[in-house]
Amino acid sequence: MNELKKNKNKGFFSSPIKLSSNHLLAIEGMEKSEIQKLIERADYFANLDRHTNTKVLQGYVVLNVFFENSTRTRVSFELAARRLGAEVINISLINSSIKKGESLLDTASTLNAMRPDLLIVRHPHSGAPLLFADYLNCSIINAGDGRHEHPTQALLDALTIKRRVGYLEGLKISICGDIANSRVARSNIHLLTTMGAEVRCVAPSTLMPSNLENLGVKCFSNMKMGIKDADVVMLLRLQNERMTGTENPSEREYFKFFGLDEAKLALANPNAVIMHPGPMNRGVEIASALADDTNRSLIKTQVEMGVAVRMSIIEALNHTKNNMMKN
Amino acid sequence: MTFTVLKSIKVLNPKTYFNDISDVVICNDKIFSICKDFKTEVSHQDRQINIYDCNGLTMSPGLIDMRVNIGKTENLTAIQKIAAENGITSMVILPNQTPKLNNPSIIDHIKRQSETPNLTKVNIYGAATKDDHGLEMSEIGLMSEMGAIGFTNGNKSIKNSLVMRRLMSYAAMINRPIIQHAEDEDLSGLNKASTTLINGEMNEGEISTRLGLIGIPSCAEVIIVERDIRLAKLTGASYHVAHISTRDSINVIREAKKIGLKVTCDTAPPYFALNETSLLSYNTAFKLSPPLRKEDDRLAVIEGIQDGTIDAIASDHRARSKDTKAQPFSAASVGASGIETLFLMTLELVHKKIIDLNKAISLLTINPANILKMEKPSLEKDGLADFIIFDENCNDVINQNNLKTSPTPFDRRKIKGKILGTFINGQVAHINQILKNKIIK
Repeated sequence: MNELKKNKNKGFFSSPIKLSSNHLLAIEGMEKSEIQKLIERADYFANLDRHTNTKVLQGYVVLNVFFENSTRTRVSFELAARRLGAEVINISLINSSIKKGESLLDTASTLNAMRPDLLIVRHPHSGAPLLFADYLNCSIINAGDGRHEHPTQALLDALTIKRRVGYLEGLKISICGDIANSRVARSNIHLLTTMGAEVRCVAPSTLMPSNLENLGVKCFSNMKMGIKDADVVMLLRLQNERMTGTENPSEREYFKFFGLDEAKLALANPNAVIMHPGPMNRGVEIASALADDTNRSLIKTQVEMGVAVRMSIIEALNHTKNNMMKN
Repeated sequence: MTFTVLKSIKVLNPKTYFNDISDVVICNDKIFSICKDFKTEVSHQDRQINIYDCNGLTMSPGLIDMRVNIGKTENLTAIQKIAAENGITSMVILPNQTPKLNNPSIIDHIKRQSETPNLTKVNIYGAATKDDHGLEMSEIGLMSEMGAIGFTNGNKSIKNSLVMRRLMSYAAMINRPIIQHAEDEDLSGLNKASTTLINGEMNEGEISTRLGLIGIPSCAEVIIVERDIRLAKLTGASYHVAHISTRDSINVIREAKKIGLKVTCDTAPPYFALNETSLLSYNTAFKLSPPLRKEDDRLAVIEGIQDGTIDAIASDHRARSKDTKAQPFSAASVGASGIETLFLMTLELVHKKIIDLNKAISLLTINPANILKMEKPSLEKDGLADFIIFDENCNDVINQNNLKTSPTPFDRRKIKGKILGTFINGQVAHINQILKNKIIK
C-alpha cells in the first residue's frame, strides 16, 4: 500500500539516479533499491507532458549498435535518447563489417575510437555486451543478448505493471511460452523475483530450460494450472529462429495447449492483465481478440513505457559516469 | 664416454614400485646404474663426469601425454620443445589436424619429421575413418605398420554403430586400441545435419539457464560409452574413452572393468580441478569439449582416479589463439592449452592428499603406456634414460603471461612443484637454472 502512495506522489524521484555500475548489462545481480529507483524515475518521465523540455544531455553521443534485427527496441532507445537531447547514430551491423571478416572486438573498438558516451548493443550471442564492457571505456546498455538478458524490457514491464496495478510485491505473475530461448523471460524472472513477486513459468517441457526452479520460480507445463489466479499473464513469442524444429509438433497444437484464449484466461484473477513483449504471433501464443482487448491487454502501454524507462536509464548512466569522474 | 650422475635423488619407478633415495648414473641413452654410492660404479680417473647434487629432488620416468591436439597455426617442433620443458617425453597427437592423419604415408612422414634425439617423442593416432562423415574405415592396418598406435576420430565421436563395430573388430585383429571422444552429436547439437545451427556450448543445467547458453546434457557422454562397451564386448576390442567427464560414464566403465572387458579411460586436469561455475563470467578460456560439468561430476572424476577406474591423465592440449577466444562465448573457439600444466595440476592431487605421488606418476607414465601398448617406462639398470627431475614442493603460481601456449584455464592458480630437468634418450631436453646451479665441480 505504501508503494501505491509513493506512486501517486508523482515525481517522487525527480532527480537522476546514480547506479553502482556505469553499464546496464543484466538484471541478475542488481539491487532491489536500484531497480526501484529506475522505475520511479521512469514513472516520472512517463507522467511528463511529451513536449516538456527534458533535453539535459546536449552533446551526449549515443551509438545504437544492432547486430540483430529490431524495430521497436531500436526506435524506443533512439526516441529516449533524443528526448534527453542526446545525439543518436543508428548502426545496423547485421550485414556489414562482420561479413568482411572483422572481429567483434575490432568493430567495437573502431566505434569506441569515435568516443561515444554510450553504446547500446543488441547481439545474437549471449554475453556479447559483457565483452564490450570489458574492452571499451564508454557505458554499455544491453539491448538484448542471445538467450541471456534483455534488462530494459524487464524494467519497462515492471513499470507497466506498477502503473496499472500499483505494486509488484506479492503479485502472481505467469510468464508463458518459449522460456528456453527467451532473454525477456530471464530478465523478468530476475527482476520480478527480486521485487518480491511470485513468478511462475509456463512452457511445454521442450521449451523449459533445465533447473529453472533454481532461479526462484515455479514451473508448470500445464498452462491452466500455471495461470490459475494469476494477476499478470505475460506471453512470449515462439522464437522459431532459435529452434531446431523438434520442440513443437505444430503451431495449432501449441495454441491448443499454450496459447492464451478466453477459456484459459478465465482461470486467472478476474482482473488479470495481459502482456507481451512483441512482436506477437496472433493465433499462436495469444488469441487475436485478447490481444486487442484494451481493458485487459497492456501490450501497447508496454511499448509506450519503453521510452520512459530508457530515458531513466540513459540519464542514470550519464549521471553515474559524471559522479565517477568527479571522485 | 660421458657420465651424468644424479646424486642423492629420490627415484620413483612405477613399474617396480621402487621408491628410494639413490645415486643414478646415466651413460649415453641408458641408465648405467642406480646405486647407493656412484663412486663404487664409476671413477673420476678416465672419464668425464657431470655430477648434480639432487638432494631433495625427485626423479621419475618421463611423462606420456596421450592426447595432444596440434592446432592449425601450431608448429609440431615448437610443441615438442614446450612439451619437453614440461616433463613430457612422449606425446600422442590426434589425427584431426590439417591435413588429416588418415593414411600411412602421412603417418610415416610425421614420424620421421618429428624424430629429433632431444625432443619429445611423437606418437600418432590415425584417423579411424577416412573423413568427417565417419562412414568408411581408413587403412588402419597400414597406418599401424607405419607406427600409428591407436585409432580415433579425434574431437569427433565415432557415431555410426556399424562403423564402430567394424572398427573395433578390425582394431582388435591388429591389436590396437580404439580411442573415443564420447559425445552424442545429436544431443549436444553438434550434428550439422539439423536445419538450424544450434551448437551445444556448455554443460546443461542451472548455469546454462542463467547464462542463456545452449546446454549439452551430461548423458550425451554416457550414451555413447554404454553403446561402445556393448560393442567392445561383442568384438573383444581394446576400447578407450578419452577425457571422461561425467559420473554416469565413470560408473559404467567401472562396471565394464569388473566383468573383465578391455575398457580404459583417461581424464584431463580441467575435469578434476574445475566445474561449470567457472563459466559464470563467460570466460572463454573455460570453453572446452567435453564441457566443464557439475561439481558432482568433478567429485566422481576424483573418485574414479582414486579407485583406478580412470587409468590415466592426459593434457587434452588444444591451444587456441587469443583472436579466436576474445569473442562472445558462442562464437569463441573450443579448447585450452594443457601441456604446460599437466604435471603441475596432477601434482596438485598429491598435495591435496587425493592420491600419492607414486599413483600420480603412474597415471602419467606407465598407465598410458599400458593402454597404448607402448614400451613400459621404467627407471632401472640398462633402461632407456627418458626421465624427469622435479621439485615436488616448490611454491609457484600459474601465470598465463609466462606460458607459451594459451589460454590456460588455470591462470593465477597457486600450485606446488616444478620440473627442473627433462632427459630424452639420455640427452638433456630441458634443464632449469636451479638444476644447473646444482652441478658439483
